[in-house]
Amino acid sequence: MTGPESSIIRVVVGLLYPFILLLGFYVIINGHYTPGGGFQGGSILASLFIARYVVFPVEDIDSEILHLAQRFVLSLLLLGPVVLLFTGGVHAHPDYRAAYLTLMDILIGVQVGFGLGVAVLRFAFFKGVGESWRF
Amino acid sequence: MRLALSALFVAAVFLMVTFITNTHDEELHPFLYDYMTERFEEDTAARNAVAAILLNYRMYDTMFEALILLAAIIGMNQFLPVPSELQSLRQRDAQDLDQGGDRT
Repeated sequence: MTGPESSIIRVVVGLLYPFILLLGFYVIINGHYTPGGGFQGGSILASLFIARYVVFPVEDIDSEILHLAQRFVLSLLLLGPVVLLFTGGVHAHPDYRAAYLTLMDILIGVQVGFGLGVAVLRFAFFKGVGESWRF
Repeated sequence: MRLALSALFVAAVFLMVTFITNTHDEELHPFLYDYMTERFEEDTAARNAVAAILLNYRMYDTMFEALILLAAIIGMNQFLPVPSELQSLRQRDAQDLDQGGDRT
């Protein structure tokens, strides 16, 4: 199932982890100033899971826990606008409008990162048994 | 038969929608476009019109967009084996390989 491991790729991807995280959170947090935002930054965060699985094809990340975290953040994301935006609270306090945008961007980004991570990991774990598996 | 009927239905809807959009000719005043591109900065404090629309003017759109990902994962939970099942499937595969390598 796994080929020979290349120590070059392992070291280089290990060095890249903090930069992927940094770029992802940069894109998320600057979403309302520059092009980018929650969905794009979340995809960059999800590439962390993908890079990790490509380099270490071990299944030590529990995708159920990841999915639980994703659902929790998603519920916050659905609750936030209902409480803050649709009641007019954000427009009543103009100082907090940028903070609201940043909060929503962070929630969307984390949610998309976890969600895409779950999706990719589920398909990656499925790879080994895909040939013999039936409904 | 059911497949043919549903294919016919999809084709009919597609033709109807393209027919309506191609024959219907209406010029709308770009009222919302003008409003949003001129006023988004003072309305939402965002310097990026896309973020202003996604996170403020059209927030409900973003909320349901986020739900799509959840729907995709629910579908995967339905049709892929869960990780605990994968473990037993792997063991069964290993046993099959031991007993002569016939994986069907």
